[in-house]
Amino acid sequence: MSVRFRFGVEGELTAPSGDRLTVGDPRVVGFLSGLARRLLAPAVARRHPELGSLGYFLRPAELTRAVARMEREDAMIFPRGNVFHVPPANVDTIFVYSWALSALAGNHNVVRISERSAAAADTIIEALNATLADADPIIGRTQRMVTYGRDDAITAALSRWCDLRVIWGGDAAVDTIRKQPLRPSARDLTFPDRTSWAALSVAGWRAADPAARRRAVVGFSNDAYWFDQAACSSPRTVFLVGEDGDEVRAEFLALLLEVVDQRGWTVDAAMAVEKRVNAYGLAATGAVTAMEFPANTVTAMSLAGVPDAPRRWIGAGAFPFARVDSLLDLVPAMNRQDQTFSHFGFAPAELRAFATALGGRGVDRIVPFGSALTFSAVWDGYDLPREFTRLTTIAS
Amino acid sequence: MSVFTLAQAAKEEVLLKELSALVEHHRDRCEPYARILAANGYAGASSVAELPWLPVRLFKNLELKSIPDDEVFKVLTSSGTTGEVSRIYLDKAAAATQTRQLGATVQSVLGPKRLPMLLVDTKAMLADRRSFSARGAGVLGMATFGRDHVWALDGAGRVDLEAIRGFLDKHGGEPFLIFGFTYLVWLHLYEVARDNGLDLSNGILIHSGGWKKLVDQAVSPEEFRARLADVGLTRTHNFYGMVEQIGTIFLEGPSGGSLYCPDFADVVVRDPQTWAELPPGRPGLLVVVSTLPTSYPGHVLLTEDLGVVHGIDDGDWPGKRFSVLGRLPRAEARGCSDTYREDS
Repeated sequence: MSVRFRFGVEGELTAPSGDRLTVGDPRVVGFLSGLARRLLAPAVARRHPELGSLGYFLRPAELTRAVARMEREDAMIFPRGNVFHVPPANVDTIFVYSWALSALAGNHNVVRISERSAAAADTIIEALNATLADADPIIGRTQRMVTYGRDDAITAALSRWCDLRVIWGGDAAVDTIRKQPLRPSARDLTFPDRTSWAALSVAGWRAADPAARRRAVVGFSNDAYWFDQAACSSPRTVFLVGEDGDEVRAEFLALLLEVVDQRGWTVDAAMAVEKRVNAYGLAATGAVTAMEFPANTVTAMSLAGVPDAPRRWIGAGAFPFARVDSLLDLVPAMNRQDQTFSHFGFAPAELRAFATALGGRGVDRIVPFGSALTFSAVWDGYDLPREFTRLTTIAS
Repeated sequence: MSVFTLAQAAKEEVLLKELSALVEHHRDRCEPYARILAANGYAGASSVAELPWLPVRLFKNLELKSIPDDEVFKVLTSSGTTGEVSRIYLDKAAAATQTRQLGATVQSVLGPKRLPMLLVDTKAMLADRRSFSARGAGVLGMATFGRDHVWALDGAGRVDLEAIRGFLDKHGGEPFLIFGFTYLVWLHLYEVARDNGLDLSNGILIHSGGWKKLVDQAVSPEEFRARLADVGLTRTHNFYGMVEQIGTIFLEGPSGGSLYCPDFADVVVRDPQTWAELPPGRPGLLVVVSTLPTSYPGHVLLTEDLGVVHGIDDGDWPGKRFSVLGRLPRAEARGCSDTYREDS
């Protein structure tokens, strides 16, 4: 059994512990605030802009608000207990959000960090360890992050140890890890494969001034390009909602090309070929009726219909388009797999009517362009602080 | 007799006409192909470089054929690195054509007569169904151009020195053919010939299979050639080809260092950023064209190999001469859905 400790005190991960944290424990709040300061340092934020958003999420004011939201009148609230987190390998920041909320809830946490984790993950771990030096020793004893290779025995032991197992990383990951039994009282919080969409109101676009259009495209490009369009919340197909959308689509694409170019985002030859393979494949089956390759960074496709929208990743900067008259026309095509629906140019009432018609059968987040990747305590339809805590009722 | 006869301008004129006709041929007979052309807005080509290409990986994902099911005579498969398999459908005519043109290509360097043949491989490989893929098909395909075959490796894949000596005693005094995968030739023939003083000077080596394994051992194509010349093997011809364009091989010329295109085939090097055709000297992605694929739309293929044209009409044979430089890495998603891929 070879476990590499990336954070926290080395030792038996599943040993009983006498340490006790409370919901919103000041020692945890202090630690997370310290971490936020380091992540918001200009040098870090310049290198990894996504860590800036994370730092913002961990500011003391945010933490206090999150703790306040956990309080309730009808019950006393306590940590859930031991939480085992299995975050995705390459979306570097998600493990911190999930872990931080769980720590804030007072849990003892073990986070399994992938051996393939990317550069931003190392930066976070450096910041965590630097912050640990000034923190209460209980933090290092109760919060551990480890890396281990293919070893079902470790996963099995942690699965028997925990009260809650948090599995990110898609259907295959969930199925694999679920082979390890939990204690009868424990349960899983799973984040399976997801698809995310974008919708552009033709009327809303026309009504927007050039600056607003540009802001929308900048936001959309962040959403799409930050994780090579492969994060579960990255928008893929763009639905044009309204009549005569061709001109709007052309303008949107022209602006997107310009913005992507300005940001210096590039697509290498391998990715360009990947996109061709996928676009040609969709054309061959009839799902796509027209393809445009204005540059390697942007691939645009016209879908034959809404049901043809692909649910799998088709490359970085690959945008199928489909036109519908109203958001409500999309309702039949949405399902449980659908997570984030980013939008531009719609009235709040339109979005509310759309959500009402969906009735929770699909789409967990409806957010404006530019916010698709912004993590929130309510994620994938779960209120995470609530998942990380348990309730005791008392009547006298 | 040679299939390396046409100067570039004359060849392009012929190819443009024949390949444009093939585009129409496949468009009429292969619906997925017709859909791709329609989605891409194809409206005719005025040069070989303008012909619409398909990414070669499509043959792993889709069934692409231009013949009805009841005319399928042979289905060729190739195993890819990720376990995906290309499926290439041949009817009787296409199968016959590919054998004939492959024969004509190798006879350009071997002459019209079948030569005694030393196969640098093991017969056991043919019996092992799991490994019988591109390697087995390649060996069997080439075996038809030789006679009195002898396997240089025994059933366990070890060098069979007695068999090689026996072959050379019998045929070493006249021209003979050696065929094998490049790294097997290096590992199992070159070193054995050097250490045992075997006389290979009447041999003509035809080899293929990529340089990666040799580059890992720091053996360049130039060194390969030079070291084989040290053991008397001066006539060596590397070739480049793929199952998706079966029957078409790009063959190294007598003086080495470049691959040449037979009269019915050509290469176009494209800039992977602009997709424009690149002039000689500038490396890019290789597009291979051939008039042989009539039963499936494999006549213009974008490979995932990087290559460079060294010159045009200035080498051993007319037309373009080029090298394959290596393989494009596969693009990977860095998405949320990959927690356990490393472990499963």
